[in-house]
Amino acid sequence: MQAHSLSRGSVAGLPAGSGGALPALVLVGLFFVVPVVALLLRSVTDPEPGLQNYAALFGSGTYVRVFLNTFLVAAVVTVVTILVAFPVAWMLAIMPPALGSIVFGIIILSMWTNLLTRTYAWMVLLQRTGVINRALMGLGVIDEPLPLINNLTGVTIGMVYIMLPFMILPLVGTLRAIDPMTLRAAALCGASPLQAFRRILLPLSLPGIAAGGLMVFVMSLGYFVTPALLGGTSNTMLAEMIAQTVQSLLNWGLGSAAAFVLLAVTMVLYAIQLRMVGARRLAGGL
Amino acid sequence: MTRPFLSIRAVRKAFGAFVAVHDVTIDVPKGEFLTFLGPSGSGKSTTLYAIAGFQDPTAGDVLLEDKSLLSVPSHKRNIGMVFQRYTLFPHLSVAENVAFPLRVRRRPDAEVKRKVADMLALVRLEKFAERYPGALSGGQQQRVALARALAYDPPILLMDEPLSALDKKLRQEIQAEIRRIHRETGVTILYVTHDQEEALHLSDRIALFKEGRIEQIGTGEDLYLRPASEFVAGFIGNSNFLAAEHLETENGVALVRLADGSIVKGVKATHALGRGQKARLMVRPEAFRLTPMEGNAALAVEIVDTAFFGDRRRVVARTKSGDEIDVRPTSDTAEPGGADAASGRQIFFDPATAFLFPA
Repeated sequence: MQAHSLSRGSVAGLPAGSGGALPALVLVGLFFVVPVVALLLRSVTDPEPGLQNYAALFGSGTYVRVFLNTFLVAAVVTVVTILVAFPVAWMLAIMPPALGSIVFGIIILSMWTNLLTRTYAWMVLLQRTGVINRALMGLGVIDEPLPLINNLTGVTIGMVYIMLPFMILPLVGTLRAIDPMTLRAAALCGASPLQAFRRILLPLSLPGIAAGGLMVFVMSLGYFVTPALLGGTSNTMLAEMIAQTVQSLLNWGLGSAAAFVLLAVTMVLYAIQLRMVGARRLAGGL
Repeated sequence: MTRPFLSIRAVRKAFGAFVAVHDVTIDVPKGEFLTFLGPSGSGKSTTLYAIAGFQDPTAGDVLLEDKSLLSVPSHKRNIGMVFQRYTLFPHLSVAENVAFPLRVRRRPDAEVKRKVADMLALVRLEKFAERYPGALSGGQQQRVALARALAYDPPILLMDEPLSALDKKLRQEIQAEIRRIHRETGVTILYVTHDQEEALHLSDRIALFKEGRIEQIGTGEDLYLRPASEFVAGFIGNSNFLAAEHLETENGVALVRLADGSIVKGVKATHALGRGQKARLMVRPEAFRLTPMEGNAALAVEIVDTAFFGDRRRVVARTKSGDEIDVRPTSDTAEPGGADAASGRQIFFDPATAFLFPA
């Protein structure tokens, strides 16, 4: 009932007895709904009423490239995060609980460490004269330093690292719910380890992958710090562009329009996921 | 001797210092229904897992038609298995679960379809082909698991306490199904259970495990009528143990004195016992009678409780030395104590049906 009333945006239409939720609703309205509405208004009124900001955004090759690049980076980061997180999550799921909770703690701890510190740490590791390049050159593996920073590689490495916990946590939950005996049964049915993975483990862990993947993708779309520090000028992401537009160019209208497009895309993706999960439940699967 | 179909040779499994299975050796002929029976922790499941390939034995070998299975990974052993817990694949329909082993073997679609239909007919679940495991009862799930395990015509079917999660009525129903399926398919079955009734109902032979060793292997009748040890006698069927002293043995017949001082003659001497050695005399509840017959031994008791079940009477009696005795005469439903229950009575048994074990 409450959600329904909210969606109509009518506080007066709330059912009786929900008065206790009023302060929270006022808070949400004041700090979330009002700014978003203000943002939308600004994008169609600044500097003058009309859709010229959106026209500029989609009309300019530069901005479109930034959009595409943002999606590319977010997609690459999501895929790599899934690939790295899966084995870690599987290990955590089958580990003895005592050991598992220690490893879990380490992962959570990394989430509590300051984002900037962690990103600067990657700069130290990845730069031309950084630890990784010097070690590889010292070992004679490479002659020239690898370009690991100020490009897509740098952004991907830095962001995958930041995003891993958000992928691992839902995935561990899903994997723990899978009975290990199911995999033994698959083996005795004649499934090779690869077949057991592809036909049993992967489909069963899909809800976790979808939940984590969407979270990582959406967070990556709007990410600022890591792309700004580890990325290059040739692959600017949307958040960086918005910051530039507003801070350097003082073009609030264009910045608002870009931010609103990002928000809209995120919400569409979220709606798609809700539908997918809902549909799965209805099908009586997992 | 003809070569055995499946041969378990001196299989030993140690977990660190703990030895779960001590040098178990069994030969299983083709088509046999063999049950590993024993209390939990007796090594029966560990032995089964060695055959399935989930646990490598520390020593020994498992041969199927003279070829060692140990170097073969689980998924190439071609063995069927039904587990204790429901292990159906929850994201696949019943039909796709049964088809799974055939699909991973890349069998042609037409064959898969035909085989799935056959298997679902075998377990009588044709109507449930499109359901998902979550929408089935426990009994139905285990029947699907059975169909899945038999879909690729494995030479051996392993069953690890498949009925333990089901309620009693369902257990009996599925036991009957398993018997029928064994009869119809002729598959060799190794079945693990801790339930002696289940073992007696299903098996051609029973291997009774105790602390990692086979205590006795034989038909249900062998184990019931000719138990090799006190443990076997106590595990299979119901038994009463009476403290006794062995007096002497002559021509395979022993003379014993019970704790209340009474002498029992004519007990089969299956164990070598010394003069005066402490022993235990085992008498089955159904071997007792309430009215004496020629040659019966008598036991002075107090009647504690009596209940009438129509075809039999169940009596709880107490000897003078305080042992409680379960008495279930099969064809003798005479009234033992009536209203005068505490007055003291005698119950009777044929000494030839009693067993004497060293204490």
